[in-house]
Amino acid sequence: MRALWRGIVEFVVGDDIWIAVSVLLLLGAAAALVRIGGDAWWLLPVGVPAALWVSLVRVRRGSRSGGSAT
Amino acid sequence: MTGNLLVFLGAALASAVEMVEALTIVLALGVTRGWRAPLQGAGAALVVLAVIVAALGPALQAVPIDLLRVVVGSLLLVFGLQWLRKAILRASGLKARHDEDEAFADEVAAARAAGRSPGRDGYAFVISFKSTLLEGLEVAFIVITLGVNQGATAIAAAGAAVALVVVVTVGALVRHPLSRVPENTLKFVVGVMLTSFGTFWAGEGVGIDWPGADASLAGLILLTVAWSLAFTRLLARPPGVVTA
Repeated sequence: MRALWRGIVEFVVGDDIWIAVSVLLLLGAAAALVRIGGDAWWLLPVGVPAALWVSLVRVRRGSRSGGSAT
Repeated sequence: MTGNLLVFLGAALASAVEMVEALTIVLALGVTRGWRAPLQGAGAALVVLAVIVAALGPALQAVPIDLLRVVVGSLLLVFGLQWLRKAILRASGLKARHDEDEAFADEVAAARAAGRSPGRDGYAFVISFKSTLLEGLEVAFIVITLGVNQGATAIAAAGAAVALVVVVTVGALVRHPLSRVPENTLKFVVGVMLTSFGTFWAGEGVGIDWPGADASLAGLILLTVAWSLAFTRLLARPPGVVTA
């Protein structure tokens, strides 16, 4: 069961959990903005690339300091 | 019409990438240990996949559309970003490119090294079954979610079917890994599509009114292409400096 759960998590989350976490945070923020009557359409097109950029820069830093890219 | 075409292309390209990876393993097993057990393993995996798809597809259609869009949209978005991340890292030289010839050679070496007991070749069957099932699950997930959200399951399934026919036919003819398939470019294109579809549907699910309604999907695709290419260029390093 544990192996199955680990497999599902790896399948969904992939190499960097930051991406899944940031997507959830962005959607939560967008839902909150919609609920208070704000205009939220811009949030995902700005936030999604920003989240990926953070993940990419972390890999670049890791590879510069001798780690391996995942 | 444009949405359906994008669903067809997205499903076909994503399926092709995953099927090429599964085909490499089945081919390696076939040429080293004989074809019977690998083909039986792949066939058994396809039966299991068909059962999963048959159960999951109708079940998803019973879920309220907004909830479905949030859940499926966010999963597609995470999937798309993971594919884009890999494609950008490979294109910018920060990660070694996936090499089907190398994967084939590794699999052949492992298949030759594995012991063989008389009778049925359990090793070839299990490896073929596992790889086909795992790659197939990704295909099934993408096809079902693209299809259900867009209300075009048959079109998404047709895209996957076309990819299956093309990949299996070419694989059967050449009996060699499809190393000339520009896998990183395909991953980049699929990553862009999944990220754009995921952003659009997850946004709709949480209540966002996209400017221009469905037409904004095309804008999201163009925007995603633009920032993905910009990221690749910003991260690019001199060739030869790669990490595995």
